[in-house]
Amino acid sequence: MDQTQYFNDMMARLEELFYHELSDCACWKTEFVGVDFIQSRDIQGTTPSEIIENCIREITTAGLVKEITYSIGGQDILLYAKVKGCLHISKEVALRKRGIKIYNCPIINMILDQIIEKLNFETTYVADIEVDEKSGECLLKCAIFESPAKIGNVCDWSDECRLIDENNQWTTVEC
Amino acid sequence: MQDILDVLISRKSIRRYKPDPVPDKMIDKILEAARWAPSGENYQPWRFIVIRDQETKNKIGDLAKVGSGSRMTAWYCMGEMQKRFEKIKDPDKRARVLEFMYSGEVSEFAKHAPVVIAVIGDLQIGSVDVPYDLSAATENILLEAHSLGLGACWVHGPVATSRDAIKFKKILGIPTGMNAYKVICYVAVGFPAEERKHPRPKVPLEDLVYWEKFGNKERP
Repeated sequence: MDQTQYFNDMMARLEELFYHELSDCACWKTEFVGVDFIQSRDIQGTTPSEIIENCIREITTAGLVKEITYSIGGQDILLYAKVKGCLHISKEVALRKRGIKIYNCPIINMILDQIIEKLNFETTYVADIEVDEKSGECLLKCAIFESPAKIGNVCDWSDECRLIDENNQWTTVEC
Repeated sequence: MQDILDVLISRKSIRRYKPDPVPDKMIDKILEAARWAPSGENYQPWRFIVIRDQETKNKIGDLAKVGSGSRMTAWYCMGEMQKRFEKIKDPDKRARVLEFMYSGEVSEFAKHAPVVIAVIGDLQIGSVDVPYDLSAATENILLEAHSLGLGACWVHGPVATSRDAIKFKKILGIPTGMNAYKVICYVAVGFPAEERKHPRPKVPLEDLVYWEKFGNKERP
């Protein structure tokens, strides 16, 4: 029996039901999904990059994903991440097949949780999750706000992401 | 029995208030109206916290500002806010409105409201569908405030995310366990300092109503 598929099927059902109850608001309520794993690890760091990379090491070592690459841009507010070979990809694919916008990534929830808990960031927000079933890759755009003063610092993230891609400003964490 | 349609259709969300205090008798009537909302199995899970302390209102206003501002900053950066407000043709006005939104100032007004009423639900009293019950009570608060000549606004922003809901509970001393109380919103109340213009246009009824079966717009 494929236990991963079994649990992903259950998660997909739960997220489908949750979306039906809360519509787009569902994504605002799921930020703690996944954090138990990362909170059980002793993540250390004094900068976003250190926290992110130490989270990635724990997540990949545990076999939850194969690789996470990331970049920080947009006046230090944009956290742009690629998640490859994730344990949960079949959940996301199942939801998309049912016409539901992907809204809950336990992996990025872990990283954002540690940015808040360890660096005392004011808040974070998952703005977009794109899933590419063929490549088995998720592309995530998140906002990370160090302080209230960072809120309202806007720029065009499509430009930011394009530049990150063109200049290959991705950081890959070696484990 | 009187038809309350005039009260319903003349109400709008009021976010600017005169500094005048709201008399206790008015607050009591508003809470009484809330108490008479319908609830599943008549469980009446609602509880209300009336807040007039300025320091507490400031904390709630700050939380709301960060909550709305963080989301709207991200939406703006994704290009979504610009699409939402493209109906505003004047580019300067549109830019001002957008900045008001993504800065979070749009949700900060609890600081300036004479009264803030937190609407919470007890999840441990055999309740069913608590958010729906609380929504009905909140609507009653809005309608009673309006009928008394006050202005009010229903605000979900500071409790929209799970993490912010915990912060909100901590500000007010509400038990933070997920099994205890559900916070659905607060309502800011005061004498209006903005014109009670006719509400924004509503979608025509013919676009909203089907007869007998979904999709059937013809009245039999």
